[in-house]
Amino acid sequence: MSSAVVSVNGVGVRYRAYVERNSTLRRAAARGRLRETAVVVALEDVSFEVQRGETLGLIGDNGAGKSTLLRVIARTMRPDSGSVAVRGETSTLLQLGAGFNLELSGSRNVYLSGLAHGLRKAEINRLFGDIVDFAGVAEAIDRPLKSYSSGMVSRLAFSISMHLMPDILLLDEVLAVGDAGFREKSRSAMRELLARGGTVMVASHALRMMVQMCDRVLWLDRGRVRGLGQAETVIEAYTRSLPPAAG
Amino acid sequence: MSTVTAGEAARLSGWRTYLRNLWRWREFGWFLAMGNLMARNASTSLGLFWWVINPLIMAGIYFLVFGVIFDGRSGEEHFIAWLLSGVFVFNYTATAMTSGANSILANGRLLVNIRFPRLVLPLSAVVETGIGFVLSIAVYYVIAWPANGVAPGPGLVWLPAAFALHTLFNLGLAAWTARLAIPFRDINNLIPHITRLWFYLSPIIWPLSLIESRGGWMEQIASLNPMFGMLSFYRTALMGRPLDTGAFLLTLAWALLIGLGGILSFVRHEGNMARHL
Repeated sequence: MSSAVVSVNGVGVRYRAYVERNSTLRRAAARGRLRETAVVVALEDVSFEVQRGETLGLIGDNGAGKSTLLRVIARTMRPDSGSVAVRGETSTLLQLGAGFNLELSGSRNVYLSGLAHGLRKAEINRLFGDIVDFAGVAEAIDRPLKSYSSGMVSRLAFSISMHLMPDILLLDEVLAVGDAGFREKSRSAMRELLARGGTVMVASHALRMMVQMCDRVLWLDRGRVRGLGQAETVIEAYTRSLPPAAG
Repeated sequence: MSTVTAGEAARLSGWRTYLRNLWRWREFGWFLAMGNLMARNASTSLGLFWWVINPLIMAGIYFLVFGVIFDGRSGEEHFIAWLLSGVFVFNYTATAMTSGANSILANGRLLVNIRFPRLVLPLSAVVETGIGFVLSIAVYYVIAWPANGVAPGPGLVWLPAAFALHTLFNLGLAAWTARLAIPFRDINNLIPHITRLWFYLSPIIWPLSLIESRGGWMEQIASLNPMFGMLSFYRTALMGRPLDTGAFLLTLAWALLIGLGGILSFVRHEGNMARHL
């Protein structure tokens, strides 16, 4: 029996990007169509599996489809074709600037984020102290988030995600968050998550760090799987494909 | 094991599951509604009182223009009660449309990152507006009673039913505007004009005698307006007026059509919302 926690089968996602950012009625009338769009292929026939307790890295150039793939697995976006099967109740997607309201205080944002994830208020009350302590923002928790440094916001976001105890943690470019001390704390928290049978998927451009933490790496190239396998091998192939100036 | 396949929408989890999820996320919806209610005027010195002051000022202006200058009072014995009830009831619908359209756009970052039943967003926008409306009903009596001698009567038993019907109608409208505002942002510019036209076509600043004196066809067309029967129902409750049964039944049909249709259409399309943000 397969122990796959995430099975992605032939997933395709196409965006209709507006050629004009804000379509207006007048231009639409002039064209005789509602809006002018161009189809952008974000993902094309992507298939793979992620095993329990595994850390899978996602690499690829900007616009390769890494964020879209994480959103499809987090099920905030429905694919146009193919299917995604996720075993395990909870997955948490963490992106920079994720789901926060900068006008509200840190503590209201903790509740907003927790409730949006489907937690009860009583559960958040119980977790609140731990979340704030882990993030190290206790003295700032009643101030509006817009007064936080970007590092503080990221630490708070990461802390909330970890305390939701997800079975699948999806990280989008948020690996190198906070100072050295916080990074060590977050790495040990992720090790704990893996130890209790959790699964981590992480998209990042920090290739050296990816070699260290990932068991396997998936290389996306313009929405298609270009490589999948042992972290070092795939990352090496990816680095070789880059133009020398960028490498 | 849960599977997401392309092309599956509401069938994704079925209506029962959707409603159960909606119930599970009720605290989230309430938190959003109360947060917005508090935040909207948090930095003003009168704070929450603006929820009451705003519709009052609006009603005061209409009274000055249409009651005093155009002398609209002549056709309606209790003009102040008529005007206030009309303005407050209509305001609930107009605000629900506007905040419904904003509810998805304003919470775009949550939508992209977190999975929850999207209907919570327009629903909490309607709850927020509904709380303001309930407050304004108290204000209605504070003014209409001394000014027109319109005291709370036995008709008041109809108020909860009117409120429920109205809220279903408004939720449907909010769901429609929320869903349409995502691919078609122009809707935010259209809504104020639609609501203004709708306001003047509804019996709020003009008494019923105005159209009754014009003959049958005008009255018939006017009563197709869902607000016609809605206002009649409310004024049965608030002013003890006889209910226009025909208009009421039509409004009942409107509320079911707009309400349920808006919710169904919203939920069918909610899987596609994240990609437009």
